[in-house]
Amino acid sequence: MLKTPFFLLYGLMIVGLTGWANYRGWSFSRVNEIRDVPKSVRDNPGAYRSPYVGQHRYTGGK
Amino acid sequence: MATAPQVKSLSCPNCGGGVQVRGYARTLNVVCINCLSVLDASTPELQVLQTFQAKERIRPLIPLGSRGKLRGDTWEVTGFQVREILVDGIPYAWHEYLLFNPYKGFRYLTQYDGHWNFVSTLRSLPEMTTSRGRPAVRWMGETYKHFQSATAVTAYVMGEFPWQVRAGEQAQVADYVSPPRMISSELTSGEITWSLGEYTPGEDIWKAFNLPGAPPPPKGVYANQPSPHSGKAKAAWTTWLILNILLFTVMLLTSALTHNELVFDRSFQYSSAMKGEASFVTEPFELKGRISNVEVTISTDLKNDWAYFNLALINEATGQAYDFGREVSYYFGRDSEGSWSEGRARDRVIVPSIPPGRYYLRVEPEMATEGSTPGFSDHRVGYRIQIRRDVPNNFFFWIAALLLLIPPVFASLRGIGFESARWRESDYAGGSGDSDE
Repeated sequence: MLKTPFFLLYGLMIVGLTGWANYRGWSFSRVNEIRDVPKSVRDNPGAYRSPYVGQHRYTGGK
Repeated sequence: MATAPQVKSLSCPNCGGGVQVRGYARTLNVVCINCLSVLDASTPELQVLQTFQAKERIRPLIPLGSRGKLRGDTWEVTGFQVREILVDGIPYAWHEYLLFNPYKGFRYLTQYDGHWNFVSTLRSLPEMTTSRGRPAVRWMGETYKHFQSATAVTAYVMGEFPWQVRAGEQAQVADYVSPPRMISSELTSGEITWSLGEYTPGEDIWKAFNLPGAPPPPKGVYANQPSPHSGKAKAAWTTWLILNILLFTVMLLTSALTHNELVFDRSFQYSSAMKGEASFVTEPFELKGRISNVEVTISTDLKNDWAYFNLALINEATGQAYDFGREVSYYFGRDSEGSWSEGRARDRVIVPSIPPGRYYLRVEPEMATEGSTPGFSDHRVGYRIQIRRDVPNNFFFWIAALLLLIPPVFASLRGIGFESARWRESDYAGGSGDSDE
């Protein structure tokens, strides 16, 4: 292992980062973070509009 | 330390120039450095054996008479010759320097395109064998693969030699390599001479003989040049294996430490014919512990239909929302090619790094509206939403495993490239090559 110190360092960084990413619950999912959603949404869900509404298009089968 | 041998100065009978004979009993021929005549050193009058008119004078990189300490012994350069082979009509010439030490005898230094070899005559015969179907020799437990065979012609000579040297002399030569060593056979007049060459950096030669300037830079890859990548690929693969074991251990450890806690599980119905606001919010649920991922799973009873779910995970206290959408579609049927299916009635999403707190989910389902799909007037879906916090996610480990592959693959490719360049110059160029990497 000492013959490949840079690879060892690179590998340890990757293993460490992967472990940290998993521990912290990282994910590649596309999620929009929206701040300060009014509390009224609790009583009136229609007051909140998702940025994804209307973006969907039909992707039916054969 | 050897005492300096006596040098005898004589005159060349051809040109009258000074000829130095260092008085070695084994010197048979001496070549006048002025007119390049080959003289018989065994006769007092230096009888002319061959006169030679070179088209151009070649200046040895190490001057004749130079002394240097190489591999623990002091050597004096006494002779110099240029030999060449013809490959596909192209001449390839190399230089040979004859070295002498009164106690050790003769050795040679060869130089081709900046690549140097320290050569000594073998005292035991190598054994002929094969390696991967190709000719090879075995000597001192090591296999040397055949590299090249050719007819070498002596093109230029200077200095003194312990053998009958003549310009134009021909020899059948064959090289066998096991970097950094090379065994060569030389067949002349029915006699085979075997020699062992050891690759020596030009810098070592320059230092040994205290030569001015720098040695000519090596060009290309030489037959027995040690690969700078040798062993690196193996070491890289060893490190890769250890890192993968470590990665796998971390994966098991983090998976074991995840809570995979089900915090929400409810079933709902939706119909596109439903009037009014389609969106609704769920009752709150608690995400405990540290920052972690949240997995939202949607299981539906869709059949040949689709549904789109706009979802927002909203923190009740801070108003922070994590908004995302998922399409679930599942189609199946049968046609002339047989049965087919497309999509799945179930989908899941992992929402990253959600801080602990009290959350609720806003759900807004969508389906095809009336008339958008022929034959359907009403679209219905029954679906179940499950929310888990701190779930195992091995996706990053697969990415890490791929990233860890890059250095050893790169090291292997470099090693293979070096070996390919080496064997391109051999009799086996264009073949499968020969890589030990």
